[in-house]
Amino acid sequence: MRVYKNLAWFFKAYYKHYILGVIMLLLVALLQLVPPQVIGRTIDFINTDTLTVNILIGLVVLLIAVALLMYLFRYLWRLLIFATANRLGLELRSQLFKKYVSMSPSFYQKHRTGDLMAHATNDINAVNMVAGAGILTIADSIISGGAVLITMAVTVDAKLTLIAMIPLPFMVILTSYYGLMLHKLFRVAQAAFSSLNDKTQESIAGIKVTKTFGYEKEDLEDFTDLSAEVVRKNLSVAKIDALFNPTITAIIGISYFLSIFFGAKMVISDEITIGQLVTFTTYLGMMVWPLLALGMFFNILQRGNASYDRIIKILNSKDSIKVTHEISSVPEGDIEFKIDTFRFDDSDTVTLRDVHFTVSPGDTVGIVGQTGSGKSTLIRLLLREYDPNKLEEVTYGGQPLSHFDVQTIRKKFGLVPQENFLFSTTIRDNIAFTNPGAPMEEIIEAAKNSYIHHDIERFQYGYDTVVGQRGVSLSGGQKQRISIARALIMDPDVLILDDSLSAVDAETEKAILNNLEKLRSGKTNIITAHRMSAVMDADKIIVMSNGTVLEMGTHDELMENKCWYYDTYKTQSLIQSLEHDLEVITDEEASDHD
Amino acid sequence: MINETINLTFRDQMKVLARLLKYVFPYKRLISLAFLMLILTTVAGVMVPYLVMIFIDNYLSPMQFPEQDISILIILFFIVEIIAVVCGYFQAYLFQVLAFKVIQQLRIDSFEKIGTLGMKYFDVVPSGSVVSRLTNDTQSIVDMFVSVLSTFMMALFMVLSSFVMMFILDFKLAFIAFLFVPIIVLIIGIYRKYSAIYFGKARGYLSELNAKIAESIDGMNVIQAFNQEERLQKEFEETNHNFYHYNVKNIKLDGLLLRPAFDMIYILAISIILSYFGVMSFGSVVTAGVVFAFIQYMERFFEPINQVSQNLNILQQALVSASRVFTLMDDERHEPEQIKETEVITDGHIEFKNVTFSYDGKVDVLKNISFEVKPGETVALVGHTGSGKSSIINLIMRFYEFNEGDILIDSHSIKNISRESMKKNIGLVLQDPFVFYGTVESNIKLYHPTMTFEEVKRAAEFVSANTFIEALPEGYHQKVTEKGSSFSSGERQLLAFARTIATEPKILILDEATANIDSRTEEEIQKSLEKMRKNRTTLAIAHRLSTIQDADQIIVLNRGEIVEKGTHLELIAMKGIYHKMYQLQNGITNLS
Repeated sequence: MRVYKNLAWFFKAYYKHYILGVIMLLLVALLQLVPPQVIGRTIDFINTDTLTVNILIGLVVLLIAVALLMYLFRYLWRLLIFATANRLGLELRSQLFKKYVSMSPSFYQKHRTGDLMAHATNDINAVNMVAGAGILTIADSIISGGAVLITMAVTVDAKLTLIAMIPLPFMVILTSYYGLMLHKLFRVAQAAFSSLNDKTQESIAGIKVTKTFGYEKEDLEDFTDLSAEVVRKNLSVAKIDALFNPTITAIIGISYFLSIFFGAKMVISDEITIGQLVTFTTYLGMMVWPLLALGMFFNILQRGNASYDRIIKILNSKDSIKVTHEISSVPEGDIEFKIDTFRFDDSDTVTLRDVHFTVSPGDTVGIVGQTGSGKSTLIRLLLREYDPNKLEEVTYGGQPLSHFDVQTIRKKFGLVPQENFLFSTTIRDNIAFTNPGAPMEEIIEAAKNSYIHHDIERFQYGYDTVVGQRGVSLSGGQKQRISIARALIMDPDVLILDDSLSAVDAETEKAILNNLEKLRSGKTNIITAHRMSAVMDADKIIVMSNGTVLEMGTHDELMENKCWYYDTYKTQSLIQSLEHDLEVITDEEASDHD
Repeated sequence: MINETINLTFRDQMKVLARLLKYVFPYKRLISLAFLMLILTTVAGVMVPYLVMIFIDNYLSPMQFPEQDISILIILFFIVEIIAVVCGYFQAYLFQVLAFKVIQQLRIDSFEKIGTLGMKYFDVVPSGSVVSRLTNDTQSIVDMFVSVLSTFMMALFMVLSSFVMMFILDFKLAFIAFLFVPIIVLIIGIYRKYSAIYFGKARGYLSELNAKIAESIDGMNVIQAFNQEERLQKEFEETNHNFYHYNVKNIKLDGLLLRPAFDMIYILAISIILSYFGVMSFGSVVTAGVVFAFIQYMERFFEPINQVSQNLNILQQALVSASRVFTLMDDERHEPEQIKETEVITDGHIEFKNVTFSYDGKVDVLKNISFEVKPGETVALVGHTGSGKSSIINLIMRFYEFNEGDILIDSHSIKNISRESMKKNIGLVLQDPFVFYGTVESNIKLYHPTMTFEEVKRAAEFVSANTFIEALPEGYHQKVTEKGSSFSSGERQLLAFARTIATEPKILILDEATANIDSRTEEEIQKSLEKMRKNRTTLAIAHRLSTIQDADQIIVLNRGEIVEKGTHLELIAMKGIYHKMYQLQNGITNLS
């Protein structure tokens, strides 16, 4: 029942729908009592030879009226209860989505995508059931069951009713027990199914290896074993599932027997008529649903409770990003990193140590270093995906970042992220991500500046080409360049390239960097990179190693230093020139042969 | 709309259904048993009202209760009940057994089919959709078998048996009742028409919703970095509302045309029965028992129709799924077939003879390629992306079929060598090594039937993979999860080496890994490679020239043609492309 208390806000908002719906249910419950009465009366009239044309017409007209009214009321309660219950799903789904978009990365590290998806689908369905089928089952079992029971006792006989009811509680107990068993077994079956799913996925991903070694047959055997396991698990579900109907048949059969046996005795002793006995048995049949509904109700309740708890836990989870006092103003001025030590939420390892530097407005700052040196962590702190351990360790215009509204801070930055995530929509929509209404010229301009325009034009549908799973698959370099266009179109005060030139070739990198220099004069750029060529023109280059600053200075200063930057720059420029030469050679050769 | 909607015509649906039912036929005994149980259940079910009718008309109305007759009646009642219960259980269970057996066969058949498809299938069809055919689509066929077909059968039997009983009781009235059938069919027809639309739409929006959630979770950092939370929320709400809207439409449709409608018709049918008997009773004798029985049968006639009509959507969905599974099974992009399987590989002598090859039948990616690799020699393939290096490997591995020229191993065409001998003697190391779910040991051994743990260890030691393996907490029994994400790419490469070397192939095909390997592992990998190549015929794709100087022959490819061929020294003397490449190579060695 706890879930109903928790959902009180929803029921309060739609109490009119529910009250009307339950009234409809009540009317249906009452109306459905009429036909068995009519049947019994008719039989008695026929049996005693007292039926007249008028009585018959009266009875039939009553029956037709009941049929039409029941149709109306049945339609209406579905609309009032089931349709309203869907509003709950609508509402919860939207609340959940709102929560998802507001959470920072640490939330996404704690929760797996699959679980978050399950909350938005299965869990919401289960809660939906509480507000729809749950209300129906409890209302129907009480109203309909109660009405039938009372009518049986009043219009036929109370004693007979009592006798006929003896077996029925067993039906409730047994069917709800089956329901619980099924739920458990079904989960086991579901687990078997998902391991079959994993197996299939792996087999297809590794098909080349399997083919190379010629293990197709063995792989099939493995698959066969797993799918046999799925069958086995599902059949244990089936074993219980198949019990439902026979159990109902058996218990109703006994009840039926009891009522006819004792009912006949009462007919003999003239306590009831044959017509009443027929009415009674018809009512008995009508007791099945309310009793089943009662069992169903408890299962719905149990699942709904668990699901609602999971949803609420997500909705109530606190973000790890701290908000101190919010300044409404837009941050201006220097960005300063004054980090002594930084570690992620509950980690023991120190990720950053003694990182102190300033990014002044209009500067281009390059951050280089090996994977894991801490480059990206600096970016994540800047974007407030995480907060520094001491809030005042990262400041913007002298104020800790946490003093500003997250949205205001993020509006300052245009990010080109490492993973090059694009949405499965058109290239146009991907570039115009921050401003879906951006004019085409702006989009093309941004694409030209990031050197992707020509690639896009070569696609069959140009800027309307859909990317991702259901569309064209792009190369890493193409994705990176579209991501750059996406950031450029918003003309941010601070452009952040987080290792986002790694997949483009040296010439394109050069060209893009040249464009940036022209476009972004007076604006701030922060570029992290593996390749020194991406940062060599920067006003300041920071060399990170093991979470701390190894060197800092301009290209010329660092070259003089003859340390890590010097070594890496030398090797990389050699490799680059080699690659360049190779390309020229093969191209020349190719033209010789063509 | 994201969801692909396949619209099957009625004829297509019947074809798919017929093909699906073919899967049922092998289980003759199971079907016969299930149907026997079904018949017994139904007959027992119809007998109950009949027995009650006899009791009312023959004994209760005339108030005569001969003890023996009543006892027999009671015993009969209980026998019938027990049959209904026991057979009812078994028919429900057996139909599910049948459903799962059918699905298992369907799954195995499609998986087997996948084994026979060539790389030209997998290079084109996204793996996600293949997986979905085998699992989700087959699962929705299960749903159909379980919740529709057995309900369908039971409904059919119940409707028929009830009808038979009504005809036995009163021919004319049964005929009148029969008039309801066209009305019911009409209602179901109208329902189907609209529900196919609404249901399809609701499903489409649901999958759009799910896709939106999944994609937003994946790209959350981008969404947040660009402050697009509100816009995405708005877009999500729109889909959410559409989904709700069509759900409500479905509820309305169900309410208008399903149970409430059938219940109304049922009561109308009862009113006809009552008027009929009422009118009859004016002229002749009508017994209470017959009226009772008739009404019971009428109920038994309507209930299954109710159940079936609610499950029609599942049927439709399952047929669409089944048609997708069958499309997969009918795919013709098979892997190349061996013409005969008589020859075996003995020494590992490879010869390409005037091989020309095209993927699409238009552009030749290999043009008249001829070269030879003698047993134990190493031949390196050098060239740019698209020069045809990978295509040579695709052909020798029989991933793709070729029609012009021939490839000979030990002077037999590779089309005539037994598959077993090919797989046993040719070892391929992929550029991007694939690691399976399991343990380190199982990743080296794979499905090899006789390989011992010692052999696994020896293979790992041979390629120097043992150092990193033994450093793992559980060594060779260390669990490998999620495509080996806990290993570096160099480590994964070493595992792939060990796996290949463990089968001791005569021929080694190497697709040299270049990207993402740090220089320390790179060195180890080169050392291992050198060891592996010793005494093995090796065909290697080389992206880095430094690794193949000692090759017995170097072939320089460009746009599908061999432009230079010879040993390192010969090619240097030629002063061609390779020479230039070598000079560049030298440059880098001098400087570093």
